[in-house]
Amino acid sequence: MKKMTVMISILLLFIACGKQAPTPGVTDTEILIGNIQDLSGPMKELGAVLPAGSNLYFQYINEQGGVHGRQIKMIVEDHQYNPQKAVVAAKKLIEKDQVFCLYHVIGTSTCEAIRPILAETKTPLIAPATQSGTMSDLSRTAGDLIFHTDTGYDKQTNILIDYILNNDSNAKIGLIYQDDDYGENVLKGAGEAESRHSISVQKEAFQRGATDFTGQVGNLIKGSATHVIIAGVVKEPIIVMKTASAMGFSPQFFGTSPTMDHRVALAAGPAGEGFIAANFADLWNSDASEAVHYRELCDKYEVPEAYMGMYHFYGYITAKVLVEGLERAGKNPTRNRLINGMETLKKWDSGAFPPITYNSNDHAGTESVILVQIKDGVQTVITDWID
Amino acid sequence: MSDLQIQNLHMHFSGVRALDDVSFEVNEGEIFSLIGPNGSGKSTLFNCINGFCKPQQGSMIYNNINLKTIKPHEIVKEGISRTFQNLQNVPYMTLLENVLLGAHRRLTIQDTINRWFSQKEREREEALALEIMDFLGIANFEKKYLSGQPYGIQKLVEIARALICKPKLILMDEPAAGMNDQETLEIAKIISEIRDVLGITVLVVEHDMKLVMSISDQICVLDSGKILAMGKPDEVKNDPDVIKVFLGDEAHA
Amino acid sequence: MIKGRYDDENLKWIPVLIIAVYLFPFLLKSATFSYKYYLYIFNIAGVYIILTVGLDILSGFTGLMSLGHAAFLAIGAYTSAILVDQIGLPFELSLIITPIIVGICGFVIGFPALRIEGMYLGLTTMGFGFIVKRLIIAFREWTGGAGGLHVSKATFFGYTIRNDWDNYFMIYTFAILAIIIARRIVKSKLGRAFMAIRDSEQAAQASGINLAKYKMMSFFISGMFAGFAGVLFAHTNHFISTDHFDILLSIFFIVMVLVGGVGSIYGAVLGTLFIVLMENMFIPLFEDGMSQFVHLEAGEFQVFIFGLIMLLFIIFQPQGLYGMWLKMRIYWKIFPFNPKKRFT
Repeated sequence: MKKMTVMISILLLFIACGKQAPTPGVTDTEILIGNIQDLSGPMKELGAVLPAGSNLYFQYINEQGGVHGRQIKMIVEDHQYNPQKAVVAAKKLIEKDQVFCLYHVIGTSTCEAIRPILAETKTPLIAPATQSGTMSDLSRTAGDLIFHTDTGYDKQTNILIDYILNNDSNAKIGLIYQDDDYGENVLKGAGEAESRHSISVQKEAFQRGATDFTGQVGNLIKGSATHVIIAGVVKEPIIVMKTASAMGFSPQFFGTSPTMDHRVALAAGPAGEGFIAANFADLWNSDASEAVHYRELCDKYEVPEAYMGMYHFYGYITAKVLVEGLERAGKNPTRNRLINGMETLKKWDSGAFPPITYNSNDHAGTESVILVQIKDGVQTVITDWID
Repeated sequence: MSDLQIQNLHMHFSGVRALDDVSFEVNEGEIFSLIGPNGSGKSTLFNCINGFCKPQQGSMIYNNINLKTIKPHEIVKEGISRTFQNLQNVPYMTLLENVLLGAHRRLTIQDTINRWFSQKEREREEALALEIMDFLGIANFEKKYLSGQPYGIQKLVEIARALICKPKLILMDEPAAGMNDQETLEIAKIISEIRDVLGITVLVVEHDMKLVMSISDQICVLDSGKILAMGKPDEVKNDPDVIKVFLGDEAHA
Repeated sequence: MIKGRYDDENLKWIPVLIIAVYLFPFLLKSATFSYKYYLYIFNIAGVYIILTVGLDILSGFTGLMSLGHAAFLAIGAYTSAILVDQIGLPFELSLIITPIIVGICGFVIGFPALRIEGMYLGLTTMGFGFIVKRLIIAFREWTGGAGGLHVSKATFFGYTIRNDWDNYFMIYTFAILAIIIARRIVKSKLGRAFMAIRDSEQAAQASGINLAKYKMMSFFISGMFAGFAGVLFAHTNHFISTDHFDILLSIFFIVMVLVGGVGSIYGAVLGTLFIVLMENMFIPLFEDGMSQFVHLEAGEFQVFIFGLIMLLFIIFQPQGLYGMWLKMRIYWKIFPFNPKKRFT
């Protein structure tokens, strides 16, 4: 009986200590933002660079006095590219750390996995770091809470096929894709383009992490493809182009946005000459207004040389989109006001992304890319924004 | 009438002759002992009867059943159970559970399911084991885990496990190995009781000559896979070949 | 008759524990505002408990190594998602059918176990994991390919399981049920046969146990538990993809069983709770605390801690957490008369 009394009193104590919910993530001096990155999984190289890029811009804004007088603070969690861990991290950020919104969560399956939580807690997710075209689909769970900034892979594939057929209407197109969610999305885009142009694209799959592409290239030679789209990351286009050149096969190679990396030009050497990659943002070393500003800030805050590059800039520029949304959310931001604020962006020029437009029926942001070609071993922009 | 008939058994492991033309008969209600120096093929013979080894030639008939064609786990169904030379118990089960392991064939699936829901069934199952354990004098330890128990008790658990499946013939592989005189006496008593009280035929392999001579009805001496001598204890004891093998030439002189 | 003094099990605290499990969320809710986050972690643990209890029957009791249990979980999750969302079976029926389907998969995977054992069996089951992943991607009309699959919420006799709060009660009800059933299995003829196969195949055969049959049965039962966990996994996570079920998860399951104590059902439960809470709660908390003083790469530290835990357990506490608990219990029971050397 005595034990019972003790237990009940402990229970009552807990109930008495129960806390009240504050406005999540917003105080008079601070806005708390949650970011989930892969800090120790297969893509941990990006995990360090992307938030560093975002923090560069936040540092700049905070020194300017912040957003409506509030400093921006970002908490980074690790998900190891595992959807289960992503859910745990999102719950921690939303329930425990009480962040205002999520931002720049990397990975397609991880973003898909946290959709139910976003919907349940009505937390917006700004600029997920994935180019999956399904991210901005409003009909899906939490679709109204996600604001996508990148042009989806399906759209990218569409644009590339359009571009190829515009230049050469007799082109035979081959496609090498990764056998995962990324490739899934590329296939969807290719399928759309096929039915639109009533052509057939020769599709060759490879497994994530593959290092041998002789089979795929051999099949493309058999199919006598004249234009080949490589939907890989960095390693794959290099190996494919080297294999092709060794096998005496020289079609025009194209790549989706992840292949738009300066390492491709460096490592592929002569085999990579002429390789055209699509990208959803301007190059960090280009003359675009924000790229210039970025390099100035890098100098000012002494960013290490190793960090500077495409991904660092990507983190930086999405941070600018988020800050713009927070500005538009007004002096007393709530999650709803952030969503409304984001939806007022009309052909807004970030200085690096193509003009961004959101409204209540469209959260895709942009649907255009620039094409970047390797000329004499240097990446050169060859088109304006095309869509 | 003879219970177990072994005829012209040959067994060799890639050149090594373990059993060479072994024939004998075990009569019902007998205590039949197999003796011989190390490596003379006693345990191999047991393994053959038990189905672990398949002899190349010869026949083994038990109650008109050809043991050669039966799988090891079906032997027990025919009424033959055995104990092992090295302890083959499950250390992380209690004594009771170890003994019940032997009752595997006696418990049907229906019993198992009933047991989940009824305390009474559970007690009935345990009573099976307790009966045997009581017989062997280890019933007081039934809830203890086997690991850490004295060697003598572990030996008795093996015997209990062999007895609980109600065999008609029990094969005992060195039941008194590693025991002191007191415990050996106890084992001798138990072996006699198994025959006298439970009416089970016993085929035993043993090194302890005193034990063998005191309890056996028949003794078969094996050496290098061949039968050296066979007969009543007194006959075997005085056989010059046996003395030579067991005690060496000097003892004879 | 003198009963064993402290080796028989004390069952009095089990009802108390069950009540505590059900009271826990109320306590948590009143204690912290972010209770949903903690509940979610406990929900993960609950689903994994069902699986590791089954894995313990296979690996701990029967001694058959499996590195393919993430794949069993995946089959269960996808099967249930397809049965409920695409074929339209009710959730309750899926709870019965899916475990049987996964059990049959386990049965099929059990065939190699008749010939090989130990590490080789581990590698074979690991290969099975890769095959399952490929198959899931290949059947993209049903499974959504590598892109993953959104799963509906569970409806249990007209009541929709909406959030983590409801999930907790559903998962832990089934987890308790799974623990009870597993205990019943290992304490019966079946469990004795499994343990005999692990420790002495000869004794098992001499007792009339058909090795092949019981090894397969062990795989079947283990598969059923994994399938059951898979159903709950799918319908409480609402999203499944091949990334959820990678090979590392299978290894984690083995670690859970090892840390908890091989060959005891409560050990598997304790080990699972320990690892899941450690991984998702304590190490992040510890890291947050540490990062104020030294710069840490989050994930690296976690791997280091896990390696250390495994090493320490294998060296100092091979019987796992449950063995530790048993020793502690004996220590306190005979407290004033504790000859210290007994427990080292």
